[in-house]
Amino acid sequence: MTSREPGPVLLLRLAGPLQSWGDRSAYNRRETRPEPTKSGIIGLLAAAAGRPRQANLDDLAGLDLGIRIDRPGSLLRDYHTVSDYRGRPLPSAAVTAKGRQKPTSPAKHTHITQRYYLQDAVFLAAVTGPEPLVTALDHALRHPAFPLALGRRSCTPAQPMNLGLRTGTLEEALREAPWQAPRRIIKRWGREHGNADRIDLPATLDDPTGEDVRDDVPVSFAPKNRAYTTRHVRHAYLSAPTGLIPDPTAPPTANGGHDPFALLGW
Amino acid sequence: MAPHCFVDVHVVQTVPPANLNRDDQGNPKEAVYGGVRRSRVSSQAWKRATRLHFDAQAPEIERATRTKRILGQLTERIARNNGLETEPAARIATAVLGQLGLSQGKKAGDTAYLLFYGQAQLDAIAALVTGRAAELAALDDKGLAEAATELPVTAALQAGHPMGVALFGRMVADIPALNVDASVQVAHALSTHETQLEFDYFTAVDDENEKEETGAGHIDSIGFNSATLYRYATVGLDQLTANLGGDNDAAFDALDRFVDSFARSAPTGYQNAFAHRTRPSLVAVVVRTDQPVNLVSAFEEPVPAESGIQAASARRLAEEHTTAVRMWGDEPLHTAITHTFTTGDPRTKDTAEALTQAFGTPVAFPELLSGLRARLTQARETA
Repeated sequence: MTSREPGPVLLLRLAGPLQSWGDRSAYNRRETRPEPTKSGIIGLLAAAAGRPRQANLDDLAGLDLGIRIDRPGSLLRDYHTVSDYRGRPLPSAAVTAKGRQKPTSPAKHTHITQRYYLQDAVFLAAVTGPEPLVTALDHALRHPAFPLALGRRSCTPAQPMNLGLRTGTLEEALREAPWQAPRRIIKRWGREHGNADRIDLPATLDDPTGEDVRDDVPVSFAPKNRAYTTRHVRHAYLSAPTGLIPDPTAPPTANGGHDPFALLGW
Repeated sequence: MAPHCFVDVHVVQTVPPANLNRDDQGNPKEAVYGGVRRSRVSSQAWKRATRLHFDAQAPEIERATRTKRILGQLTERIARNNGLETEPAARIATAVLGQLGLSQGKKAGDTAYLLFYGQAQLDAIAALVTGRAAELAALDDKGLAEAATELPVTAALQAGHPMGVALFGRMVADIPALNVDASVQVAHALSTHETQLEFDYFTAVDDENEKEETGAGHIDSIGFNSATLYRYATVGLDQLTANLGGDNDAAFDALDRFVDSFARSAPTGYQNAFAHRTRPSLVAVVVRTDQPVNLVSAFEEPVPAESGIQAASARRLAEEHTTAVRMWGDEPLHTAITHTFTTGDPRTKDTAEALTQAFGTPVAFPELLSGLRARLTQARETA
């Protein structure tokens, strides 16, 4: 199945004060992509379905994903220190003959890391695949086995997250879902755009013929052998309903509808 | 499918000018939400404060132990459970622990290092041979060792962890088998309203200054802000129970103490300069069998300062909860609330009524905890 064929589509609204979607960072500098990764979404679905880390992910990795950027948010750098809460020195990378970690020498008590988050962002994720699997995931997201998170455990999602099932192609489902921005933001945008009933929102869709490659498809989440593979994606602008009623008396906008800053959320 | 059980904890807490959790510039952490700047306290910072409070309240020793004498402890349990003499019980215990490959200590029967395990974990290991003890004791050494290798001893040690580990998780990079997934999820605390970063410019004067010498001995500034914070945490009760080896009572104990510590603790950053220690003006617990629900969306539109931020924030929280329950048609299993808004005061009357409508009649905090436990116990018994 490709993203161009119609099928059941599960729509998720990914919103909350903070989100973080890392795709390659490890250790001290934990970065985030500007939009949710496939591994992040699959991790979320797997957590909802109660799959342990060692579980097989083939069926989930086979799902097609589309992400619409409803509000890009902005980057937040979080200065984060790590220390043992009992006041002990941090463990070092070296181990004793018995395989136990040695303490750092000279004793190091504070370790500094940088964690990046997207703040104030809203995404719409659409997932499509075999009907029984998508239906099961729809139920699992309403009754998750583990608490869900937007890329990192401290990033709890705001509700509602699961917008339910649609039928159609990924692109149709993403195009027809209303713009997921706060009421106030939509109103302000409407004032500047003659209350247009549609807004162009950027989207990234799984597509084997796509021109761009992402290295974020999980093969396994098992701690000992985490592995990822690639997928092809294409980018598009989708014209989504704003829920506003156009003002026929308002003059057409000066830029003819083209807004190069739309992607920045201005 | 068995329903999952999540305990959501919502807290509204006002802090005066303070700098609870600072970034590398020394300023309070912030985040943008709903298009405006907010004061933020990272989840890690508040979780650390919670853990310190948690550990200070009751030491792990209650349900966990750190000892070299695991063999003696296990022997005692096997002897007691099966009415055996110490000598055959010790033989079985030695065989059972044999498969772990623990290094021997100097004294006979001791391990080379202190092992940290929960009492429930050792009970689980002892239970593996209950009913088979006489049969095992009759085997010769070789047969006994072979029979013992088939027992899931490692699995028993990988479940049923001490409370702190069961709640907050553990990560051992080198030995993933010892990793424990946390059952607690804590969100970053965020102000319900817009905040601006402010600076306290200060000078310190040298008390022993000569008369002719003017000027300061030290000049600096501290960034600060004051905020009414919305704090949220959720506990996955199933994961917590599983981490504690299926012991419901231990899980309720751990939950009880977590809610208590989460409500009462606060990060201590710049504590002596600001004395910011406040208590929450509202603590609500919501037990849900479908999914955890974070009510932060109540504050996406920032609370305006004119309306009295603390009461308005509480009202918003109540409205969000009521609306969400009505919209999704999912009645929580249990709700309870402790708050400081009274119906007697005309300024908080609306707030108190809205809270009662959403979360029920307010109770004192100890009653909130005991009520939570009673409801969960009842739910487990009827399940």
